[in-house]
Amino acid sequence: MADKQQQVVVKRARHKSSVKDPGTPGVLKMTKDRFTFMANDPSSPVKLNVEFRTIKGHKFTKDGTKQALLNLTQDQGGNYIFEFENFPDRNVCKDFVASAIALSGEAGRTVPEKSAVPIQDEQLSAAEMERRIKLLQEDSDLQKLHKQFVIGGILSEAEFWATRKKLLEQNYSRRPKQRVALKNDMWSTKPLADGQSNRVTFNLTPEIILQIFAEKPAVRQAYLNFVPNKMTEKEFWTKYSRAEYLHSTKNVIAAAAEAAEDEELAVFLKQDDMLVNEARKKIRQVDPTLDMEADEGDDYMHLPIQDHGLPRNDNKDVLDSQYEPYRRSFSQHLNQHAAVVLQGRVIDVELGDTRSVAEALARTKHAELAKDASDVYLDKERLERISRMTEIEDLQAPRDPAVAPLSIKDPRDYFDSQQANAFSTLGDTVSGAKQLKCSVSTREAYCSLKECISEIKFQGLTEPTINSEVAFKVLNGLAQNISSNKYHLGRNPNESILDSLPKITREELLLHWSSIQELLKHFWSSYPITTKYLLTKATKLKDAMSQIYPKLQEIKESVQSDLRHQVSLLVQPMLQSSVFMDQAFCCRL
Amino acid sequence: MKFQIEDVTVYFPYDNIYPEQYAYMVELKRALDAKGHCLLEMPTGTGKTIALLSLITSYALSKPSNPIKFIYCTRTVHEMEKTLSELKLLHNYQLQHLGPAAKILALGLSSRKNLCINPTVVSAENRDSVDAACRKLTASWVRELAAENPRIPTCSFFENYEKSASEAILPPGVYTLQDLRAYGKLKGWCPYFLARHMVQLANVVVYSYQYLLDPKVAGIISKEMQRESVVVFDEAHNIDNVCIEALSVSVRMQTLEGATRNINRMSQEIDRFKATDAGRLRAEYNRLVEGLALRGDLPASDAWLANPALPNDILKEAVPGNIRRAEHFLSVLRRLVQYIRGRLQTENVEKEGPVAFVASVNTQAGIDQKMLRFCYDRLHSLMLTLEISDTDEFLHIQTICDFATLVGTYTRGFSIIIEPFDERMPHIPDPVLQLCCHDASLAIKPVFERFQSVVITSGTLSPIDLYPRLLNFNPVVSRSFTMSLTRDCICPMVLTRGSDQLPVSTKYDLRSDPGVEKNYGKLLLEMVSVVPDGIVCFFVSYSYMDGIVNSWHETGLLKEIMQHKLVFIETQDVVETTLALDNYRKACDCGRGAVFFSVARGKVAEGIDFDRHYGRLVIMFGVPFQYTLSRILLARLEYLRDTFQIKEGDFLTFDALRQAAQCVGRVIRSKADYGMMIFADKRYSRHDKRSKLPGWILSHLRDAHLNLSTDMAAHIAREFLRKMAQPYDKTGVMGKKTLLSEADLEKMGNSNLGEMF
Repeated sequence: MADKQQQVVVKRARHKSSVKDPGTPGVLKMTKDRFTFMANDPSSPVKLNVEFRTIKGHKFTKDGTKQALLNLTQDQGGNYIFEFENFPDRNVCKDFVASAIALSGEAGRTVPEKSAVPIQDEQLSAAEMERRIKLLQEDSDLQKLHKQFVIGGILSEAEFWATRKKLLEQNYSRRPKQRVALKNDMWSTKPLADGQSNRVTFNLTPEIILQIFAEKPAVRQAYLNFVPNKMTEKEFWTKYSRAEYLHSTKNVIAAAAEAAEDEELAVFLKQDDMLVNEARKKIRQVDPTLDMEADEGDDYMHLPIQDHGLPRNDNKDVLDSQYEPYRRSFSQHLNQHAAVVLQGRVIDVELGDTRSVAEALARTKHAELAKDASDVYLDKERLERISRMTEIEDLQAPRDPAVAPLSIKDPRDYFDSQQANAFSTLGDTVSGAKQLKCSVSTREAYCSLKECISEIKFQGLTEPTINSEVAFKVLNGLAQNISSNKYHLGRNPNESILDSLPKITREELLLHWSSIQELLKHFWSSYPITTKYLLTKATKLKDAMSQIYPKLQEIKESVQSDLRHQVSLLVQPMLQSSVFMDQAFCCRL
Repeated sequence: MKFQIEDVTVYFPYDNIYPEQYAYMVELKRALDAKGHCLLEMPTGTGKTIALLSLITSYALSKPSNPIKFIYCTRTVHEMEKTLSELKLLHNYQLQHLGPAAKILALGLSSRKNLCINPTVVSAENRDSVDAACRKLTASWVRELAAENPRIPTCSFFENYEKSASEAILPPGVYTLQDLRAYGKLKGWCPYFLARHMVQLANVVVYSYQYLLDPKVAGIISKEMQRESVVVFDEAHNIDNVCIEALSVSVRMQTLEGATRNINRMSQEIDRFKATDAGRLRAEYNRLVEGLALRGDLPASDAWLANPALPNDILKEAVPGNIRRAEHFLSVLRRLVQYIRGRLQTENVEKEGPVAFVASVNTQAGIDQKMLRFCYDRLHSLMLTLEISDTDEFLHIQTICDFATLVGTYTRGFSIIIEPFDERMPHIPDPVLQLCCHDASLAIKPVFERFQSVVITSGTLSPIDLYPRLLNFNPVVSRSFTMSLTRDCICPMVLTRGSDQLPVSTKYDLRSDPGVEKNYGKLLLEMVSVVPDGIVCFFVSYSYMDGIVNSWHETGLLKEIMQHKLVFIETQDVVETTLALDNYRKACDCGRGAVFFSVARGKVAEGIDFDRHYGRLVIMFGVPFQYTLSRILLARLEYLRDTFQIKEGDFLTFDALRQAAQCVGRVIRSKADYGMMIFADKRYSRHDKRSKLPGWILSHLRDAHLNLSTDMAAHIAREFLRKMAQPYDKTGVMGKKTLLSEADLEKMGNSNLGEMF
């Protein structure tokens, strides 16, 4: 948001006609709706003044590469390349451009729509508006539909969104971005020895470093203390690896001896005091029905100096207490590792920079521990959990089922994948018949369509209201068929009809599919036509449909003859649907 | 729901009840009517605790003229919390239906460590240091001094509590330890002493076994409980071990060194008192002449652990003259410590009875039996006289006196074993002298005598006729209930072969075989990929678990297992284990799924439930036999054979199988729950072993599941999980009711239900 408030951005840059071009030095100035470029040399012919409305997208080079480039692509295919002096400059412009494009794109859409359908227009809150914009930006298909129908004046904004309430609500809760979990993979310190020399190599990646820092707070602390004042990063990790190697040899005495000589090494070899302290704090928040530590308070038999029961069953510690701090058990490591993985990625920092990772981790840990154990809210939650746990579930009527809402971002993707599942189970039995299956399903759908039509015709005559169930069935049959086709064709690159079509045609086809779907949805939702408003709407929809019809015909004719048959197979249900809509409409009239 | 059992109206906080719960209540009620003891076995997962609680509280409510007190003993503090929260649920229900008449006072009692709210005291490491830190602030002499000198610190909570005197009472309600602490904070009263006081007045007391069984603790906490009490020992399958441990002592070299330090410190104190306050020592002497080992009216804050011998066995006579003077007593202690040190120097394992031991003490150190017997009380008196408040420093000498008193009091049922080194590590000298009790009936005898009804109950008490013999009592009711299942929601399997068809076992000769370790690992790997949510694995010992987990790590099996689930492990450090368990639950809650590695006979196996999604599968790797070369165990087996004619092998198998059953029984909590159990050892397929498992497991162990290999087990697991995912009718099928509603109970009447099971 802060970027958007920043109304004007002025930076030095070079304008280039191509990437190789040395470019013209000058000043780039960006405002909310346009950007201008003035060359330093006033005699230079390069002078730009472009509206953001015409800019379709932007590309940029990665941080740290050779040139700091920003490439703005225009609607008509032209583009503007700027090279900046440094990356921060470029990034500022990049962010500005991104928001400017989004804004101008939106402004272009919303304005005409408001004037077109003033009756239905609702006062939208800024938040609501923003949400819609965001949805449009995320989903390009939706954007296309929106452009076609709302801006085209066929549907009002409100009508368009009314069918997508779910989508809006879903986004309402602003769920955070899904975070990638940590890998549940212990970094086993299996050193790579090359066999000949005595060299031992360890591999450290940023991911591993993050894991080490999260699992071993002492190492993290040591890193923050030592690097870069006392030693370089490389020295630090060498030392750490040395310590790990000593541990892996399980030679406690050798470890102790080395630690005595080198105090920095000792930090890695000793037990982690921070972990111990942390554990002590955490134990107070543990569910009391699990708290085994509390048992010790009541255990008068296993006094520390007596030991009956299990301990006799175990290896006696052979070593003196001076080595005690250097002993580290594998199980401890195992538990700590699992705890860290369970907690997940707590920080949101680029992994490359070791220092910032360490600092961020230290910060979050600190904040976490600062939360008081006697937190009232936590206490209450814990109590509730215990009382829930004590209930015997089947002696009681069930409580509200504890279900999480499904989070489906892109319904079409989800739908397709469901289709895929359905097909893959089918496919087990009818393997190899996929291509055939596809055409059969088209025919089937057509048949069912025809049936539906006749049914509706019949009902339409006897009863003015069309059975909504029937409408739903039709719509479903159509939608399923289309998307199954799409899925099917999309996934089999070799035999796909769609893929064999030229790209433009294919996209056009897909677009028509979705627009027909949209139109049908609205058409049926306006039934029964009882008011004048609905009548005009239906008429409008019908007109829009009839406009698509010739387009489809065009596509059919434009493709090569060998593909024409298959394309017509694809197009047929769509044509049918538009014809069918006409019929339904006529019936009504 | 509420219903009648004969003349008692039972309030039960749920809408339905299992038939076996009902039958359990009927039996329990009969035992209460007869004012006798009873022994009841009911499988886990049938809601034993709530049935017990609701019957006994309802019974008490129905007889307002003659209220009975209800003492509920649990093994651990977390079980105490669980019980109290069930009681809370029940109490709320009773309040709803009966109004204020149903008000009761119920509370849990634990040590200072779990109840103290004074931040300086409670931050101490362990129980003994918390106790000592508390004494330093609250002992009567400290408070006397503080009255004169305000710079001496006292505990404000205790002072407030003392000030409010008789007003300091808890209003009726159910108090968990946390509630007690919260109430204490609210009022500014010490929750520990408040609870200790309220125990006498409460209707329901929930505390640990040891508060009744260990004479040291029972002597100060449970002394004044009325006879009209119902005592329940829940999860009592290990009760014989608890009884035995309560009367056992072991002495090591460190103990002796510590004891010597303590004696020196005391003699310094005596010298100091002689110089400053000789009258005090003289007063003590006079008191001892009069035959009072202790001042009768000790303030609660001074009370120490009581005599380790049982109340009936303590001599009610004057302390012998030769230990009345403080310095004489110290020299007796010195001689005793010296004598024991001499005995520990031995090269061979020695075993003798208390009589022989006392005789040899008498001849070599000149301490007779009577002096030994009074050691503990004499020490206690001396420490009070010397105003020693850092009692945690004096644990060593306490242990020695503990030992002396026990060895001087009992002549049979005990033996003294001296081992110069651990059997498995003969090159490391680690001498230990152990006084071990073999007779479990000794410690529990006063409980049976003092209280009118004692209920011993657990999920696994089979063979049920063994317990009355071990504990030497006559139950009026002794019954084992089976579980009526709506569907086959448990699936026990015996796995005898690994994926390569070779036998698996933790038998001594196979134990460290890499093939067996690999097969066990492969089994777990198969299972983690099949079973959702939580899996629990039990191993036979810590060392075995460490070894096998390390070898899985080295061979990469662990890494593969971790691809499917998080791995947590029990360690000997309770704090860490508790945190690991907490994380394990979180991982199961959030759907990540986890495996927990644990040890049979360990702390987790003893008391943590892995019900519902916290445990869909338990794998018992091996048969958890006790360490059979242990001298203590051998001595106990010998005693059992001589006294009860129980064969060694039988007892060992019985003990191992009850542990195994206990481990696997943790997965089921209710009939809606389901879980699998894998016994992974070829020895389980033998009839003599298997038949010792409790009936409710055996009845589900199909013949086809007796001799499986890994792949077959994985197949069965898949089938089972699929079957469990299907919807079913909770109330039971085809006339066999497994869930009764209020109407059902009325219809059936009381008459014929008892015979249904």
